Amino acid sequence: MSNPLRGEVIRLYKNLLYLGREYPKGTVYFRERLKSAFLKNRDVTDPEKIRKLIDRGEFVIKELEALYFLRKYRAMKKRYYEPEH
Amino acid sequence: MAARVLSRCVRTLSRGAVVFNRSGVSAAAAAAAALPLSRGRVFSHLAAGHKPLLAQTLGGLQRRSYGDLPPLTLESIRDRVLYVLKLYDKINPEQLQVTSHFMKDLGLDSLDQVEIIMAMEDEFGFEIPDAEAEKLMTPEEIVQYIADKKDVYE
Repeated sequence: MSNPLRGEVIRLYKNLLYLGREYPKGTVYFRERLKSAFLKNRDVTDPEKIRKLIDRGEFVIKELEALYFLRKYRAMKKRYYEPEH
Repeated sequence: MAARVLSRCVRTLSRGAVVFNRSGVSAAAAAAAALPLSRGRVFSHLAAGHKPLLAQTLGGLQRRSYGDLPPLTLESIRDRVLYVLKLYDKINPEQLQVTSHFMKDLGLDSLDQVEIIMAMEDEFGFEIPDAEAEKLMTPEEIVQYIADKKDVYE
């Protein structure tokens, strides 16, 4: 309970939830997957392992940002250029 | 020279407006209740949402809130908190009490609690720091915290 990394994990969860609001498959889908991913590692107590998992979460955040950016880029491209491009 | 005359005209105009304003306010206050209420106190009453008291003392004087929401009261905060909690799919609305503990009574986990706090942030439009969000475990505590932050008292 009093793990010093607890706050970081919660912050990660919060950030991911915020990002998941725009997920293409829907917020609910994302939230369920996210929750099960966090619950899968609920018994991890080794600080180094937790650190690794947090890093993985940060990586997922970057992937999501890239996904949204790409989606936006594609939408813009579709609007401004000919369809065969 | 012309500029000086113009500025003097403007000054006298504005002074006249201020004087008119002041007299208008004092007349209204005297007519309303003949109570030694200053403007500041009137507004603080409004912010605290003492509607019945205000209606008694100030008679027909009403405040228009324009685009702003009506002032928060403890009851309205409690209603909104409970409404948000009822909409949350993992909480059974029949079990929900103002004093029920999220983890002990409602069977939620810490991740659900984070989601609840996020829903509260959306509902009330301000951010709750993580360190304080951890301690909010019952609807009652959330109501108290929001009332503290929004300067709402009994």
